[in-house]
Amino acid sequence: MLERTLLVTARLGLHARAAAKVVRVARGFNSKFELRRVDNSVSADAKSILSVLMLAASRGTELKATVEGIDEEAALNAIDNLFAEGFGEMEQESPR
Amino acid sequence: MEQPHEIRFKGLGVSEGIVIGQVLRMHDGARQVYHWRVNVADLEAERLRFRGAVQLARQQVVPINKQAEKRLGKDHSYIFDAHLLLLEDEKLTSDIEKQITDEQANAEWAVEVVGDRLLSLYSEIKDEYLRERGSDIEDVMQRLLVALSGVQPRHRHLSEDAVIVSQDLLPSAVAELDLEHARALATDTGGWTSHTAILARGIGIPAVVGLRDFYRRTRTGDKIIVDSTRNEVILHPSPGTLEHYQAETVSRMKRELASDAKESGPLLTEDGVEITLRANVEVPAEFEGVEKHGAHGVGLYRSEFLLARRGVIVSEQEQRLAYEEVARVAGKEGVIIRLFDLGGENLREQFQEPEKNPALGLRAIRFGLRNEEVMRTQVRAILVAAANGNLKIVLPMVADVSDVRRAKAIIQEEANSLAKAGRAFGDVSVGAMIEVPSAVFMADNIAKVVDFFELGTNDLVQYTLAVDRGNDEVADWFRTLHPAVLHSIDRSLKAAFRAGIPAIVCGEMASTPAYAVLLVGLGATDLSMTPSAIPRVRRALAGIDSREARTIAEECLSCETADDVEGIVRERFGKLWPHLFPPKSLPERRQTHSQGK
Repeated sequence: MLERTLLVTARLGLHARAAAKVVRVARGFNSKFELRRVDNSVSADAKSILSVLMLAASRGTELKATVEGIDEEAALNAIDNLFAEGFGEMEQESPR
Repeated sequence: MEQPHEIRFKGLGVSEGIVIGQVLRMHDGARQVYHWRVNVADLEAERLRFRGAVQLARQQVVPINKQAEKRLGKDHSYIFDAHLLLLEDEKLTSDIEKQITDEQANAEWAVEVVGDRLLSLYSEIKDEYLRERGSDIEDVMQRLLVALSGVQPRHRHLSEDAVIVSQDLLPSAVAELDLEHARALATDTGGWTSHTAILARGIGIPAVVGLRDFYRRTRTGDKIIVDSTRNEVILHPSPGTLEHYQAETVSRMKRELASDAKESGPLLTEDGVEITLRANVEVPAEFEGVEKHGAHGVGLYRSEFLLARRGVIVSEQEQRLAYEEVARVAGKEGVIIRLFDLGGENLREQFQEPEKNPALGLRAIRFGLRNEEVMRTQVRAILVAAANGNLKIVLPMVADVSDVRRAKAIIQEEANSLAKAGRAFGDVSVGAMIEVPSAVFMADNIAKVVDFFELGTNDLVQYTLAVDRGNDEVADWFRTLHPAVLHSIDRSLKAAFRAGIPAIVCGEMASTPAYAVLLVGLGATDLSMTPSAIPRVRRALAGIDSREARTIAEECLSCETADDVEGIVRERFGKLWPHLFPPKSLPERRQTHSQGK
């Protein structure tokens, strides 16, 4: 089992579109994949978009990722990358 | 299968015409979801029905997702991917199935309950942007509800004879429609001035609104007749009724073809009085009608359409392009741009708290004077557009000269600063809408400080009689031909004549042939109406003698009640011009339901 703390850097937070990306990536791996708010208030199955959305992770939120399974390392790295690049949303329009 | 019986529903015909077609149900996103108890034995079937709906909803999203990916790029298409993932989400589907089982609830109810629960969790999110994303969940829930009712949600491509039936057609839904092919509209709610009504008139398709409990009784594909001249729709018309209507349609088409020929050149009444007919326009879909129907320019451009789409203030540049385009459509006769006629109901979130009584609140010119930047931007856009076209400004809902003076000062200041900046702009004349009683009483004073009057009869009727046209409960008090309304028009027209300025009469009165004749009788010679109404008004006015119209109008002015006025119109018009005014086209004798047209 691997654990890592991830930071939401994207300006718009982990909204539906970003959550969809997270879920798509997580589903690409065999491992069990959990995301949890660091205060333990909410945890989410990273393969369920609904539960990821319910993390309500806005910009600056820290999430603890826990991965367990045969491809846990690759899975964690993939998600880490996605978070690091702000879910690939460089040029977002203003949220209005 | 048993043949369903013909049923007639009474409503309010807000856009003239008769159409035979097929029902196409469109829900408005605010449907009522009912709860019923499912027998334990039927629960498995209900869960299966739900799974079927999920399947259907997914099948609908997949192609949208693909298309969005192609058209918008992968990044934007992810929003539909999110919808797809939600529809596949086992937590969501199992929650809903659990709800069905535990509560013995129908699937619709379970979707609604689970959806509401999720949304309420979402609404507690502190981050504004994320909170707004709750709408994705809402969208998916809506899609499921639609799938459960077995209706296709989007109808961009309508069949040839589609009659849109809805509870209330939201502007966004209307905007999405492939309007070329919608033959008619029928809605449960709405009034004369609702967006649906205005659009229907603009595009020239019949519409009957205020049908109350109609929508839920229809199924897509049902045969339907929409007859706005009789304020009704007929569901499952009998073969006899159909035959009757088909015959009527054919003879009307013949009549229209025959009269279309004489639709060019100036319009003269029989006694040689020249009448100018202009077009009211709002959306680009109406532009075509301006030339087609031989309008003398655009008499009223409802500029707030520019905002309706996005609910935000539009940039000067974007406005200028829109004004230039409508000026081009209007040609040398020019276009009169009405400054944003907005009220609390349009811009609440952006500018102000909800008002208790928006009709009497901060709206139209008041809104502009309070939010000066909005007004200045619009004025600049118009002035700059006037460098290449003939544009005029009309100020909505002025109460007296002080509103006019303040607005004119702003216009002058903007012109000065454009001159100073060395930007090209044109002169625009400035008129006042006369549409509230205070302006009617002060019309002589206002006439001295403006270049023209424009009588907005819709609002004038509402404000003079203090009756909301959209409110069914007071429909019996909404009397266009009330003597008080006629006196207001008479007074305003006379003030314009005394001051030597033109007066254009717009609103539904101008577009209804019998009323237009009465307006001419009161001295109006310049009318502006929805383009599709021009041919019929032209036909009527070409066939009357304005002196006779004047005699009748004077008689009407001495009446005590709207009933008396309508009686005179019915009797005298019917006798003098039976070929122009078949009984159906005149105000009905009042009975139980609402007003005649």
